[in-house]
Amino acid sequence: MKLKNMIATGASLIALVAGGMAQAQSMDEIIAAAKAEGMLTTIALPHDWCGYGAIIASFKAKYPEITVNELNPDAGSADELEAIRANKDNTGPQAPDVIDVGLAFGPQAQAEGLTQPYKVSTWDEIPADVKDADGHWYGAYYGVMAFGVNKDLIETTPTTWEDLLKADYAASFALTGDPRASNQAILAILSAGMSRGAEPGADSGTKGLEFMAELNAAGNFVPVSGKAGTIAQGQTPIVAAWDYNLLAWRDSLAGNPEIEVVIPEGPVLAGVYVQAISAYAPHPNAAKLWMEHLFSDEGQNGYVAGYCHTARFNSMVAAGAVPQELLDALPPAEAYTRAIFPSVDQQAANKTVVTEGWDAKVGAVVAE
Amino acid sequence: MIRSPRFWSWVAFGGGLLYFFIPLIGMFEFSLRARRGEYSFQAYTNVLSDPQFHQTFVYSAIMALFTIVFGVLIVTPTAFWVRLKLPRLRPIVEFITLLPLVIPPIVIVFGYIRLYNTSSWLPLTGSAFGTDILLMFGYATLALPYMYRAIDTGLRSIDVGTLTEAAQSLGAGWFTIITRLILPNVLVAVLSGAFLTFAIVIGEYVFAALLNRPAFGPYMVWMGGNKAYEPAALAVLAFAITWACMALIQLATRFSKHTRAQR
Amino acid sequence: MTDATITDAATRPPATNPVQRLSLTWFGVVPFLIFAFLFLILPTLNIVIGAFRTPDGSVTLANIRGLFVPEIINPFWLSMKISLLTAFLGCLIGLAMAAAVTKGGLPSWIRDAMLTFSGVASNFAGVPLAFAFIATLGRLGLVTVVLKEVFGINLAGLGFNLISFLGLTLTYLYFQIPLMILIITPALDGLKREWREAAEMLGATGSQYWRMVAMPVLWPSLLGTFALLFANAFGAVATAMALTGSSLSIIPIILFAQIRGDVLQDPHLGYAVAFGMIVITGIANLVYIVLRARAERWLK
Repeated sequence: MKLKNMIATGASLIALVAGGMAQAQSMDEIIAAAKAEGMLTTIALPHDWCGYGAIIASFKAKYPEITVNELNPDAGSADELEAIRANKDNTGPQAPDVIDVGLAFGPQAQAEGLTQPYKVSTWDEIPADVKDADGHWYGAYYGVMAFGVNKDLIETTPTTWEDLLKADYAASFALTGDPRASNQAILAILSAGMSRGAEPGADSGTKGLEFMAELNAAGNFVPVSGKAGTIAQGQTPIVAAWDYNLLAWRDSLAGNPEIEVVIPEGPVLAGVYVQAISAYAPHPNAAKLWMEHLFSDEGQNGYVAGYCHTARFNSMVAAGAVPQELLDALPPAEAYTRAIFPSVDQQAANKTVVTEGWDAKVGAVVAE
Repeated sequence: MIRSPRFWSWVAFGGGLLYFFIPLIGMFEFSLRARRGEYSFQAYTNVLSDPQFHQTFVYSAIMALFTIVFGVLIVTPTAFWVRLKLPRLRPIVEFITLLPLVIPPIVIVFGYIRLYNTSSWLPLTGSAFGTDILLMFGYATLALPYMYRAIDTGLRSIDVGTLTEAAQSLGAGWFTIITRLILPNVLVAVLSGAFLTFAIVIGEYVFAALLNRPAFGPYMVWMGGNKAYEPAALAVLAFAITWACMALIQLATRFSKHTRAQR
Repeated sequence: MTDATITDAATRPPATNPVQRLSLTWFGVVPFLIFAFLFLILPTLNIVIGAFRTPDGSVTLANIRGLFVPEIINPFWLSMKISLLTAFLGCLIGLAMAAAVTKGGLPSWIRDAMLTFSGVASNFAGVPLAFAFIATLGRLGLVTVVLKEVFGINLAGLGFNLISFLGLTLTYLYFQIPLMILIITPALDGLKREWREAAEMLGATGSQYWRMVAMPVLWPSLLGTFALLFANAFGAVATAMALTGSSLSIIPIILFAQIRGDVLQDPHLGYAVAFGMIVITGIANLVYIVLRARAERWLK
């Protein structure tokens, strides 16, 4: 009897330990270890992207012993993976601890062994289709693809992707980055493909590239990385970007010039961004603490303040954890109800077609 | 005097004047547009009160100072020795100093990243301090042609042989000769090289961007994409700084001419 | 004879030990040589060698062959065209302006002012220059707006775009021309007044003087500066990046994007691209050296 009990207790103990492997440290242990590490290196987190400026500030305020070292805010998702690869043996400040990449880049990073698993304490509230079951990557926020238009230069705002091909928009449209590296640019092309009737996936990649080739041939495409500055200075009067970015840029320009944000008619594309901890992170505990911060109520509301919808949005709204004024400031819900969330596989297929086909099919060459 | 060459001179000069001044005026005018509908210095206020501006500018200024000191320490003895004792080495040394003008800087920094990362025998990128040192060496490489040319010209204008001879007959050793005799006499040349190096380092982008250091160049590029009117204000400030450096060079040269005449 | 022995004795270091003498002789240049080797020559060699290696270390030409695809050859070609054009125009216009201030009979204060300004402008290259041109010739730039509102000319409608071949050339010339002025002015100063007077006495016209006397003397400097301007434009990346981000298809930006994000999906292609750049700038300088030797032979 006693032996049986002992075996049973032992077995349940083992099960408990094995089950809690991904959550072996308690919150206090993580905090203590993170403070001992003293630094967190982030990459590709512009301050006006989903309110990251305020989120980083609140992290610094909570843990003043941890210095936040921010690398290259304009990096694209591919640049982030390359930064991990290039700094595998490097424990210096160029090696990122955490990355924030598009959904399609999460599995790629995992496959290359660039990530380490971690499940935040609010793990269960994150929808299953935007996270890796083992905890290598997990979705944090999303938005929908929209156009931002400089009203000083463009009289008639385009309302669909096809509109962009019109002669009125000569040398006016730009993506937000290099379509071989930036998730935002790759998904803009997916959205263009969807507007032509393609299913998300390889088909949308192909049709999207066809669209971009036509746009380039018509002389309407500008090979500049579109952002707040370039929209206002006139090089990229129309930019396709996430609605939260466009709204933040509109706010920062404060009417000088006036920016109109319009979600194109037709299929609405929603893009999820996932967080991951680098497998070679020099400060793994600081990284874990950062993740806890991002997925806490405070962090998630920080995203909402930046016009983003969050992974835990539904459960937090149901629990009344989101302040009303933040909810009111969000973009109208209508577009979100018909938003399409491509799956990980669809995004990966689209990404392959775009990154490999861009140079050959479109390859924005300087006009002669 | 034939009249037509003079006429064409004015035409050439006038055309050049237009081409060079219109962008400067355009840049200044654009920087005044921060407030809608009126001209104001709002963009300048925003830039000058931005903590990032202070941090990156101070970082680049300090890097420039270290680069100048290192450059002078490396180049002066070399130029001195080549002129005095090793004239056969002159073509080799001059070839080396012209290499940074032939090899694109982006290739050089690519070499640094591949050669001095943490898995190499000299893991300079393993720490912030090590990367700063690597960056300084990179800047010194970029400034090398100008530093060497400036100091060599300076040495040419003083009679190195006689001075050294005189100092040695008074019992001075090599170290004293270089530090207390040569350096003060080529100070003007060193200063021109120094100001030029300062201008180069402040505006440099590729090295700092690829080595991920918080320098002024990457800050300016970042501003260019993210802010509307502040980049033009930054450009005006950068132009003013470059102008100040060149003016200081002129001043130093004129000052030396004065002391020469008095002798 | 006595002078030589005195100088000889004087420049001999105080110590008479031959070993000490040898080490002291080299002492001055060794730090420089070490620095140049470690931070200039070795990184370049590393790239050159890397262009011929596979990930596992064996020798291969595959990387070089990988260069000959349109998406890499076109940027190379484009960079070369821009560099050749801006070097050529820079030389021409720079020569014209330098000649105007040195020989053209303009007041002397203009010469000083132009030289100072050239010093500033040649260093104004890079990021601030791009901003200045965006602010002037961009869609909302001063010149564009003035042309539209005062003269009724729509620059964008005419097809002008700052991010075009013409736009980039205009921008690059801003630092190419001053560089030419700075370098050619001393050479122009070297053209003695007596030569011109002698030529006029023998009945030569102005253009004959330039063609037969001045140009042959100036050839080496002109060629040298042309090669310099070519290399300068070929490697320029900051200006173009500030104008466009990393999407413009000139070769330095391709290399930059490759180093940052491996956009070509092949790490060793980066080495090959860098090697290609070194080859082109190296050839340019080689051409200069050969032509200069020929020109100097003619002079003798």
